[in-house]
Amino acid sequence: MAIHGLWVINKAGGLVYQRNFGDGLPHLTSNEYLVLAGTLHGIHAITSRLSPTGSSSGAQEICGETFKMTILLTATGTKFVLLTSLAEPNAGSVLQKVYEAYADAVMKNPFHTPEMPIRSEGFDTRITALIGSG
Amino acid sequence: MTIYSLYIYDRHCACVYYQDWHRTKGPRPAAMEGGILPAVSPAVYPRHEEPTFESASTYSSPRNTLTSSSGIVVAINDDAPRTPLPQQTQTSTSQPSALSSILTFDEESKLVYGVVLSLRNMVKKLSGKDEQFVNYKTSTYKMHLYETLSGYKFVMLTDPNADSLRFVLRQIYSGPFLEYVVRNPLMSMDSREHGIDNEYFRMSTDRMIRGLTIFQ
Repeated sequence: MAIHGLWVINKAGGLVYQRNFGDGLPHLTSNEYLVLAGTLHGIHAITSRLSPTGSSSGAQEICGETFKMTILLTATGTKFVLLTSLAEPNAGSVLQKVYEAYADAVMKNPFHTPEMPIRSEGFDTRITALIGSG
Repeated sequence: MTIYSLYIYDRHCACVYYQDWHRTKGPRPAAMEGGILPAVSPAVYPRHEEPTFESASTYSSPRNTLTSSSGIVVAINDDAPRTPLPQQTQTSTSQPSALSSILTFDEESKLVYGVVLSLRNMVKKLSGKDEQFVNYKTSTYKMHLYETLSGYKFVMLTDPNADSLRFVLRQIYSGPFLEYVVRNPLMSMDSREHGIDNEYFRMSTDRMIRGLTIFQ
């Protein structure tokens, strides 16, 4: 029942927001996170083609032995990824709320350039209120 | 709830075994130049009968008309296609996207391996220790992975609502795989030239999978 991290990946596969919560997973360098986000973007595209029964979405939930990643793909191609412990039941609804916060505090911000890293205090505070400071 | 397919890869990244059950969208037989080993699965092995000059244009090739919607590949050891060829010749221009959306088996098996390997490395990196990737799910299927110490990777595609089936993959390894592949003196392991398909292994794996409660 713990949230380890949140990523926002733009439609080109670039990591535009990354934040860790707590010490459940080791903290990597920002470069490593960029590489992982790019990899995930590619994997997500491939997984939708491997379906044995007609068209499929991309990967929605990726599980390791002690943690899982829940992925929300929006209609515009932006991906929200939440890293949690395996026993986190409402990762999906947290992601939905993160999406709302993103729409309010990032997309409505006139100073934000689309597809560029998110540097918005408003978004940070909304995420802190939603998930905790970590 | 059902089980779609099983892939086994050796440590040299080669697919050595394939079997499927309830696929509604079966793979096209592998392309001749796809580099699929012999003895992986009779259903997907490239057909030798095909004249080579036709492989130049992928879309007009008669092989492409053999994909069936019933999940059974109709092109098994057959000289001529059983289904009549479609009459219209403009299919090659009008439907390339529909045809190319079905992958040939060699493409598919490479994509599966790529996804498994990338996710495995990603999970290791994120966890910071030697943690294994277990499964992922999409809206229509779930992929499970079990990796042995010797580097064999057992990959299974099932219904998205299935629980973790790692134990089943482990059972396939410790049961049929050890019995009919590893302990089989006629089997050349790690040969890079042959898959591991044989009648006993295929039969007992099939029996094991069909016996599962999730298989319907």
